Amino acid sequence: MAGYRPSYSRVFLTFARNSLVRDMSFRTNFILQSISTVSWTIMNIGFYLIVFQYTDSIGEDTGWGRDEFFVFLATTWIINSLVQTFFMPNAQQFSELIRSGNLDFALLKPIDTQFVISFPRVDWAALSNLFMGLTLLGYSLFQLTTRETNPLILDWRAVLMYPFYIACGTVIMYSVMITLASTSVWLGRNQTLYNFWFYITNFSRYPMEIYKVGWGMALWVFFTFLIPVLLVVNIPARIMAKPLNTMETHYWQLAGYSIFATLICLTVSRRIFVRALKSYRSASS
Amino acid sequence: MPMALIELNNLQKTYRVYQKKEGLRASIKGLFKRKYKEVQAVRGIDLQVEQGEFVAFLGPNGAGKTTTLKLLSGVIHPTAGSATVMGHIPWRRENDYRRRFALVMGQKNQLWWDLPAQESFRLHQQIYGIEPDTFQHTLDELSDLLGLRELLSQPVRELSLGERMKMELTAALLHSPEVLFLDEPTIGLDVVAQHNIQQFLKYYQEKRKITILLTSHYMKDVAALCKRVVIIADGQIQYDGSLSGIIDETTNRKLVTLQFADPIDKMLLGSLKRFGHIVHHEAPRVKLGVTRDDVPAMLTAILDAYDIDDLIVEEPPLEEVIADVFARVSETSATQSELGLSRSNDTQVGEAE
Amino acid sequence: MTTAVSSSSSLSSRAKTWWTILRISLEERFVYRGDFALGTLMRFLPIITQVFLWGAIFAASGNNAIQGYTANAVVAYYMLTMISRAFSSMPGLCSGIALQVRDGEIKKYLIQPIDLLGFLLITRVAHKLCYYAIAIIPFTLVFYLCRGFFENGWPEATVLVAYGLALTMGFLLGFFIEASLGLVSFWFLEVTSLVFVYNLLNFFLSGHMFPLDLLPEWANQMVRLLPFQYLAYFPAAVFLGRIEQDELWFGLGVEACWLLAFVVLSRVMLNRGIHRYSGFGG
Repeated sequence: MAGYRPSYSRVFLTFARNSLVRDMSFRTNFILQSISTVSWTIMNIGFYLIVFQYTDSIGEDTGWGRDEFFVFLATTWIINSLVQTFFMPNAQQFSELIRSGNLDFALLKPIDTQFVISFPRVDWAALSNLFMGLTLLGYSLFQLTTRETNPLILDWRAVLMYPFYIACGTVIMYSVMITLASTSVWLGRNQTLYNFWFYITNFSRYPMEIYKVGWGMALWVFFTFLIPVLLVVNIPARIMAKPLNTMETHYWQLAGYSIFATLICLTVSRRIFVRALKSYRSASS
Repeated sequence: MPMALIELNNLQKTYRVYQKKEGLRASIKGLFKRKYKEVQAVRGIDLQVEQGEFVAFLGPNGAGKTTTLKLLSGVIHPTAGSATVMGHIPWRRENDYRRRFALVMGQKNQLWWDLPAQESFRLHQQIYGIEPDTFQHTLDELSDLLGLRELLSQPVRELSLGERMKMELTAALLHSPEVLFLDEPTIGLDVVAQHNIQQFLKYYQEKRKITILLTSHYMKDVAALCKRVVIIADGQIQYDGSLSGIIDETTNRKLVTLQFADPIDKMLLGSLKRFGHIVHHEAPRVKLGVTRDDVPAMLTAILDAYDIDDLIVEEPPLEEVIADVFARVSETSATQSELGLSRSNDTQVGEAE
Repeated sequence: MTTAVSSSSSLSSRAKTWWTILRISLEERFVYRGDFALGTLMRFLPIITQVFLWGAIFAASGNNAIQGYTANAVVAYYMLTMISRAFSSMPGLCSGIALQVRDGEIKKYLIQPIDLLGFLLITRVAHKLCYYAIAIIPFTLVFYLCRGFFENGWPEATVLVAYGLALTMGFLLGFFIEASLGLVSFWFLEVTSLVFVYNLLNFFLSGHMFPLDLLPEWANQMVRLLPFQYLAYFPAAVFLGRIEQDELWFGLGVEACWLLAFVVLSRVMLNRGIHRYSGFGG
């Protein structure tokens, strides 16, 4: 028995299964949530369709035309839905556990505490956004590859790198989120968590070129190097939406840096998490 | 000297409580500079518990019982002092340690609210790495003992408080812990459920010979289960010994009940007062509180002077004695802090970050 | 004589009741004002991305103006919708009513001589007054820093009056729409999903997401027939001087009609709902 390690993948599958059983017992809620997620994405498409009535691209000579930008948008949704399905409910739950003192139970388990905090709940309804994202991705890639002028030729390297960078982006977002949630040990508030998350990640939703004007450069530096949320969507979207052989040197550099940033984010957030646990006071009842 | 199974040496825990101020300027200031108040929850506890003991922690609210249990479970870190449980330092939270004990809290629940308890149990099986056969066997045994079999597939939110507590106990015992910490396991339960849980704990402890530390407000829990009692008040151990010893050690009073053949009048009551104070009288009986050493002399005198039908000499009730101990502790600490002698730094305000 | 005295005293006692309710809600709100001001300031962060997004859109379009909006005007528009929303959004109103119906707390209003809608309106006014009292600091700061986006400067006095009217009616319209939604809970207990759909539609159709003028003509025509535009678009457009003088008063008139319609609707729903509720003996 000594030295026994629990099987993390099997524990995760049980988490996912339990969440599904739970979601299914509130079926109406599940369906409504899926519907509203889908309508939200449709409204978003509507907004950008309107925008592209007045312009051919977002930013001058950036190459973010309508279909390229829709690849970008699809990437945003894919990463967002992964974060919302797997991490969002747990981060909110984490703040709640700290507030109520129920974090005690997580600390008692003979398994990595960050794991048992980060994964117990899976919000299956939020996965509907993933399908919307994949659909939009498929559609816009079809448009890009079949257009008459200058059709995009899918590079197999891009197809391989895309999911890899999606994963990196998701990990960066996860790190930011768990860091924010950990602060509730010290700050004690949790309702602002979602707002703060929204305000920070809001910067990641647009092509990074738009910030490279005037004082926007400061923002670009801040959200690329200090809190690297700008890399999250931009790197995979750039790799997929535009020909790889035209990718500028600094993009390649950023793509390389992105891997490094992912590791740093994960390490830093883990440190903050561990420190938060040390300061945890365990509220009574 | 061989180490006891659980050993605490001068264990201390101080909380810093952030003093929130109202107002815009104060909260902006609060972002940079915060004022804290220090609260000493546990002020140096020394304790040894041997394998197989069933020990009760008694004490008023906020005395430090729960904090001590949380320190021993490794949920919080101590400010000073040391502790080992089965050779492990709890707050290192090693998996080897965490697989060998369990904590049950009457006021918190760990089972998934919307799912049947058996789903949570299965999760435990995986987290604790319990062999499927062992798991099934343990679960069968526990659910038979606690009468839970039919309830396993019902969502936890539909269970009564007593049933939920039994489920929590089951969850805690699935991995057959060697040490069990119970924090108010019968709080808010009705008498029948309380009794069931007591019976179960007694049976389980005797059979498995595990070590249990229990905190409870119900004297009945304690009287039914524990031979050893530790009274904690004001963050320190006030008494450590047998249950009956509390009375010997902390009170020198006995209760004498006299039943008179003649009617009781004011004069009689007045003359009884020289023997001790009258706790209660209801004709034809009078109950007196008498100093222990005076009892023989008092009995001789009374039997001489009055016509007595019946006579009972008894110890004061446990609840009362313990309440006395608590009251005495809080009184002394109150006077101490008034005089500025208190070891507590309750009012010391420090600034940090 | 006696009737006159009693009616006047009941009026003054009623006024006293309202005043007490208002005061208690005010005090309750003021406790957390620090967090509140900082929270409000953070709300303006998305405006920054809007500045850059629209900057990029205008740079690529090669035009100075889209449907009469310059890049600066779009940003000014977004900032003004923040004000509109500060008036017309009613967080927790609908779900609060639903909760009271479900918990049976609504019975209180059947026994005590307090009108439910009146009570909710007065607490909401208190809530908003507090909000403005604190929020005015971050709002002023942001608007001062961003004054460059308002190319036309302050509008003239009549427009300002109309703007004030539009905001006030926007507040009342928002209140009565959400109150009506909340009262649906007399018939269907679960209204959270309804609120969600409302918020979603509201975000898009009120012009909070983008200026409604950018919609294609047919869609624009349709959206203008709905009451949502008064919750965000209309006041902002008034301030920016995008609405002609005669159209202005007409628009305010239509808004007043919508307001009246929802006042009547919520009143009828409340009466019917209570009737239905007491019918159950609940």
